Amino acid sequence: MSADMSSGIKRRDFLKVVGVGGVGAGLTGCSTESAEKLLPYVVPPEDITPGVATWYTSTCNGCSAGCGMWVRTREGRVVKVEGNPNHPVSEGALCQRGHASLQALYAPDRYTGPMQRVNGELQPISWDEAEALLAERIQGAAGNVLFIGGAMGPTMADLVDQFLSSVGGSRVEWEGLNEAPLREATRIAFGRDVVPHYEFEGAEFILSFGADFIETWVSPVQYQRGFARAAGVDDEGRKGEFVYVGPRLNLTGQNADEWVPIPAGGEAAVALGMASVIAGRIGNAGPYAEILQAYSPEAAAEATGLEAATIRELADRFQNAPSVAMGPGVAGQHRNATAANLAIHILNSVAGNVGSRVRLVENAQSAPSRPYGEVEAAIRSMASGGVGVVMVHGTNPAYGLPPASGFNDAFAGVPFKVSFATEPDETAAMADLILPDRHFLEAWGDASPRPGVYSLQQPAMESVPHFDSKQTGDVLLSVATRAGSPVGPATTYDHLRNRWQSLHQSVGVAQDFEAWWRGALKSGVVEVPVPATEEPVTLRQPDAALIFDTPAFDGDGEFVLMVYPSSRFGDGKQANSAWMQELPDPVSKIAWHGWIEIHPAAAERLGVDKGDVVTVTSPHGAVELPVFTYPGVREDTVAVQMGMGRQNSGRYANGNGVNAMTLLPAEAEQPSGGLVHLATRVSVVPTGDVYRLATIEGSDSQSGRGIAPAAYIGSLGHSEDAGYEGEGEGEGGYEEKPLEEMQMLGGFGAVEVEGKAADWPLPGTERGDYADPETPRWAMAIDLDKCTGCSACIVACQSENNVAFVGEDQVRMGRDLGWIRLERYYETVDASHAGTLDVRHLPMLCQHCNNAPCEPVCPVVAAYHTPDGLNGQVYNRCVGTRYCANNCPYKVRVYNWYSYADVPEPLNWQYNPDVTIRNTGIMEKCSFCVQRIREVQNKAVVEGRAIADGEVVPACQQSCPAEAIVFGNIKDSTSRVAELAENERTYRVLDKLINTQPAVHYLKKVTFHEVEDAAH
Amino acid sequence: MGVTRKIGIAAVVVTVLAGGSLAFVQDGQDANAAAQAAAPAGSSTGDNYGNDAGIQPIAFPHAIHAGTNRIDCAYCHYSAERSVSAGIPPVSTCMGCHAAGKVQVQSEQGQQQIEMVQEYWNDGETIPWVRIHKVADHVKFPHMRHINAGLDCTQCHGPVQEMGVLQQPDPAWGDGKMGWCISCHVEQDVSRDCTVCHY
Amino acid sequence: MATLTEAQKRGALAHPDVDLHEEVNRDILKMLSAPGKGWWFLFSLAVLGVGLMFGSWGWQIYRGIGVSGLTSPVGWGAYITTFVFWVGIAHSGTLISAILFLFRAPWRQSIYRMAEAMTVFGVMTAGLFPLIHVGRVWHAYWLIPYPNARYLWPNFRSPLVWDVFAVTTYFTVSSVFFYLGMVPDMAAARDKATGFRRKLYRVIALGWRGTDRQWHHFGKAYLFLAALATPLVLSVHSVVSWDFAMSIVPGWHATVFAPYFVAGAIFSGVAMVITLAVPIRKVFGLEAYLTTKHFDAMAKLVMLTSMIVFYAYLTEFFMAWYSGEPPEKQMFWNRLFGHYWWATWIMLICNGMIPLMLWFKRVRHSIPALFAITIFINIGMWFERFVIIVTSLSHEFAPFAWGVYRPSLTEMGIVIGSFGWFSFWFLLFIRLLPPVAIAELKEVIPPRMRRTSGGHDGHDAVPATAPAGD
Repeated sequence: MSADMSSGIKRRDFLKVVGVGGVGAGLTGCSTESAEKLLPYVVPPEDITPGVATWYTSTCNGCSAGCGMWVRTREGRVVKVEGNPNHPVSEGALCQRGHASLQALYAPDRYTGPMQRVNGELQPISWDEAEALLAERIQGAAGNVLFIGGAMGPTMADLVDQFLSSVGGSRVEWEGLNEAPLREATRIAFGRDVVPHYEFEGAEFILSFGADFIETWVSPVQYQRGFARAAGVDDEGRKGEFVYVGPRLNLTGQNADEWVPIPAGGEAAVALGMASVIAGRIGNAGPYAEILQAYSPEAAAEATGLEAATIRELADRFQNAPSVAMGPGVAGQHRNATAANLAIHILNSVAGNVGSRVRLVENAQSAPSRPYGEVEAAIRSMASGGVGVVMVHGTNPAYGLPPASGFNDAFAGVPFKVSFATEPDETAAMADLILPDRHFLEAWGDASPRPGVYSLQQPAMESVPHFDSKQTGDVLLSVATRAGSPVGPATTYDHLRNRWQSLHQSVGVAQDFEAWWRGALKSGVVEVPVPATEEPVTLRQPDAALIFDTPAFDGDGEFVLMVYPSSRFGDGKQANSAWMQELPDPVSKIAWHGWIEIHPAAAERLGVDKGDVVTVTSPHGAVELPVFTYPGVREDTVAVQMGMGRQNSGRYANGNGVNAMTLLPAEAEQPSGGLVHLATRVSVVPTGDVYRLATIEGSDSQSGRGIAPAAYIGSLGHSEDAGYEGEGEGEGGYEEKPLEEMQMLGGFGAVEVEGKAADWPLPGTERGDYADPETPRWAMAIDLDKCTGCSACIVACQSENNVAFVGEDQVRMGRDLGWIRLERYYETVDASHAGTLDVRHLPMLCQHCNNAPCEPVCPVVAAYHTPDGLNGQVYNRCVGTRYCANNCPYKVRVYNWYSYADVPEPLNWQYNPDVTIRNTGIMEKCSFCVQRIREVQNKAVVEGRAIADGEVVPACQQSCPAEAIVFGNIKDSTSRVAELAENERTYRVLDKLINTQPAVHYLKKVTFHEVEDAAH
Repeated sequence: MGVTRKIGIAAVVVTVLAGGSLAFVQDGQDANAAAQAAAPAGSSTGDNYGNDAGIQPIAFPHAIHAGTNRIDCAYCHYSAERSVSAGIPPVSTCMGCHAAGKVQVQSEQGQQQIEMVQEYWNDGETIPWVRIHKVADHVKFPHMRHINAGLDCTQCHGPVQEMGVLQQPDPAWGDGKMGWCISCHVEQDVSRDCTVCHY
Repeated sequence: MATLTEAQKRGALAHPDVDLHEEVNRDILKMLSAPGKGWWFLFSLAVLGVGLMFGSWGWQIYRGIGVSGLTSPVGWGAYITTFVFWVGIAHSGTLISAILFLFRAPWRQSIYRMAEAMTVFGVMTAGLFPLIHVGRVWHAYWLIPYPNARYLWPNFRSPLVWDVFAVTTYFTVSSVFFYLGMVPDMAAARDKATGFRRKLYRVIALGWRGTDRQWHHFGKAYLFLAALATPLVLSVHSVVSWDFAMSIVPGWHATVFAPYFVAGAIFSGVAMVITLAVPIRKVFGLEAYLTTKHFDAMAKLVMLTSMIVFYAYLTEFFMAWYSGEPPEKQMFWNRLFGHYWWATWIMLICNGMIPLMLWFKRVRHSIPALFAITIFINIGMWFERFVIIVTSLSHEFAPFAWGVYRPSLTEMGIVIGSFGWFSFWFLLFIRLLPPVAIAELKEVIPPRMRRTSGGHDGHDAVPATAPAGD
């Protein structure tokens, strides 16, 4: 491995091949171009076979969760990232932001090399000069060096600290999304300085006080999987309940069964109110007994405007089931956030969840989340001229901190500013020297997401030749040497190996290091047993003054402002990815631009509607945003997403939306020192302008069509006619109809529909079978009770299938190309009082109908049915009449109105060479990842064996953190998909109405309330 | 590639070719035309460098390697049996035989060509071969399936072992177009489903 | 053909003010004289239109179909609307010349030539739109079945392929019919013309001499072609309607479509004939040939078809309600009160309400009123197709995927340009070919020379075009 990493020539040379010919396969060049060059290796790396993908393990650094990655490379170029199945954190799944890291690797706006700012202009400079310059400045700074870094792996952190100690300086860390209050509360309550690990599996009652554990909270992939396992109905019809407490429904909240819409900052009161009820029965509130006296349910009810009965009832359910509660998260970080988190710890503790479902030792997050307080101090010392050289790495405080913090002025005042940014950002825009770091897919590193879990990050390819980047670790080491204070070995790689050597010794495995090391690189992760410590389940005496009341809010505006993390951009880190920009937000379904969420009633009061631009004014700033009317936010609250409004980022992020942080005060929460996000009131005034938002949402109501029906949990197990007969009146929305009538309603020709889906007659077999008589019949099952609407599948699909992005104006016209459309229908969303919540999420992709309306209408047979049950789309045969799209009842066919695939270099390097690139005038749609099917078939045939169930895994299933998607051969009665197709919850969208016989089988969402009329 | 090498090639070309065929060489435009024109000579003697120089950076007579010396195709095109793509031999493969003084080549033109290979190897450069066989970008041709089905390489690539200059077999053999693929798939009674090759 | 006496009666009815064959020749052929300013003005407008159309189309091919306003879910819009519109216009021609001929309608002679020309040019215009609307026009020939080594054929189950056959057939037959009917007149023109035109007409006239044998064969051929063309009037627009009816889109998937579209086609076609006949009559002073009787008859036809079409509208709404299927019901509700309500109401008023005025004889006999009404009908019929296509597609089965469509400038350029393209040919036609059927007019005008005593027959006057049949 390391051998052929160091001798870079091979990989890079092979990249030339890609550069010339192989970048994707277009529909343009159909003739033989004799000009094309074939560039072979000089010496072939043993791990690369042309035309066969090579996989490397790595660790995602999209956020501090540290998910394991599998990186798919073709001919030495990274084409896709997936979750690493061996990894204890992500278990094979990956979130949308993780997928998007691929676009950061090939971002056309990345710095092309080291640069120096000469009178305002950035001038290219050689690495040698740059390092010499930096070394000189550091010597000049006489120990006053400040290093502002983001969350980084142990090796890197250690390396930086060594560097700073030798040249004299200090390090502060700034992560936009950190859980300082939770961490502090944990320390206060249990004396452990960690972010607890929450065990969803086995929980039957989940209570979130606003934590968005599906989007960004702590470790979203891991927690979403855990949540889906807990809240998804099992074969015995058991299903965990999920109650959401908070002023605004984030995506996590939309997946709740009940919503308790308390006013902002009321979590502590509710949690303590519940705790007091439980403690009153089994009381072990320890040192907090008298506090609980003060917070009777009545008191809590008064503070939050709830019924005391509601709180008591919640308490009962929380006590009587294996339960877990979690804190408000970043969006709920108000001035008493630590107290709120502590209150929730108390609740968990009195209910006896600590140690079982709230883990403080095993699996606890050790990723350091340093508080904003430190940054404040750093800013002060910068302002006071106490800093000679400031270096910024892996974070972007100039954008991420509220302007009130005065960072920009202080930073600008520092004599010499260095940025290690890979691509342009607001902080780098002020720097004197830019030393572009490598993207993490090109660099060495490691991570330790929890005690005992060590995850490796290795270069999956030579650095993209367009960009002359250098790993920051290496830069620091060489600078240290030049500055006359060398630090250990010369490269980050050696440091890494040294650290792991010591780890190897500490683990004490029999293997010699090299073997162990290669094994670690192969699996990407090493797990070592943590020293067994007793879980401290009892509460400690608080050592800090805490106020549990609703916090104060600045200003006297009509609304409380919630600033919440983006599930697409995090705190803005992934904002310059076209994929993330174009991915419709899971809640608002808006792409590219920003918006402000206002309750419809409030909007009516203001006389505004969706798209009307309003001025939002807080005591700290004012912004203009278009309105998105959202029933999932309280009438007295408005919400704005973080991560937008970039000014000095790349071409895809700049100018979309506004930076919500400009509305916030720069204030550290006490005692944790975390930055407050929920701190101010705002006034909202219409400007009279209208902004046409780019949304994919046509209607949020099913209009009585039973697109996404649900099943009452009480009705499970009682229906005799399970499976394909599952939905009758009141469920599927349409009563059974005699065959003829169904055909009158749109079937093409008399198609037998009795019997199992697997036995339906298969159109298209006249085009000949595959070699073996046992031709498979591909089908998919999607469990809507598990699906959370997180949208990871959409990006995975986009990455796998070369689905192009089209830009805001095209999305606005309705021309987005997503092969999967995550439909979101409201059933019951009521912010006026606590009660039932019902939001339906349904991933709509090509249903691969066995009686497909699109097939007979295509004049040139570009849309046809394959012998193995796919609804084929032959791009090169398509003439572009769009008749198939008109006739598709699911509207899953998307059309290339322009040649969207022509993207700036080197974004095109990401294209998957196994999938044809579509240019203008061609219809496309979900292909069930036919290239993966063929790959496995080819392999199986050559190896002379049958294809095993679960061997073919489409990109969406692969990345789904909720394990909601299952793909396989439905003719094989033992396959999982065949089993699920016969599940009593199974239905097929619109099948009863127009007899399309889809190959995609949905399993109804299960509700705890009766579903009455046909709309459900 | 360097100017010196260009001159070298030109020199070889001049020495080998009688004035008539010079015309072909100098216009690198229509490589195949040049190749076809020169083919008979090549296939007869199996030794034909000059014409190849019109197309390829180095004259590689398949006729000698695959024909005279009976080297198996898969020896160089190493991934044909296990991958969709057959693979272009790395320079190291050439050096396996042609490292200084290993294999004796009778003709002195040949010696010159081999020296060029060694030059590439010493510079750690790759040889920019020109692609002759290419299907359209939206066509997927899995080599391993066809090799596995017992097809002989020449069934698609023509009598390579007789070609001094590698070239598309003349249309009478097969034009590499879809109709040609289909006719064989029909004869062999194997799948004619569109998404076997197009996706 | 009719016997002379009937013809005389009818002719006397139809053209009271014409009594000499010479007059006919003079009046009609004078239309072929050098054009005046007005014509040149209109013609240059038409040329501009043609430029606009092909300019925009070129731009669309260069940039990609995206320059149109089309989008998902509305994949068909102004292009297909205009295609159906022109196919509809193309209907009256064959109807008037063939069907009315078979039914011996007394008033067709003086208008059918114009109607036929309209048909031919209408199809020529319509035929362009399927090409314009596809994304990869350079591959459009794949819709034509031709043997190939790839074992590939068009999909004969697809209504679009039926369309190709239907429209091309209709174009072939109607142009042959148009040409055949014109042969004797071309002979007349030939004998009057000089220089280049004489050469041109000589070729076109195919050496017509007006001998009895020629008249005999001509009559037979014309009769057969008429009989052959008649079913096409029904078939073409039925097939066009199946483009929609064969799909499952709510608002398209209806059995009423074929008759509904045919009626609509005749409706719009006849209206267009009136729209065109009025100015021509005025400019060339053909009052004697295009009498109010003709307009009255056509107005009655318009009135009838208008009522059929309106009835079809009502049936659609009733069936939607009666089906009880949410998608159907909501689609039609949306048609009336949704995003495109205005288009629907334009359609209902222009095609259903305004033609009701034709109940009054005074209106039917007022040329300006007819002109105005038929203009409204043309607009209304364009919007009918727009409503059927766009409102249906914008609100289909999946509510989350509902969307709207706004035509783009390029699109509108092509649509408007198509009128220029049509007028371009029509203006050429009225200058180069006799727009009124001379020979057939003469059939229905009692020939003088028969009443003059003595051996001297009238051959010197118009030798080539003595009426046949006796």
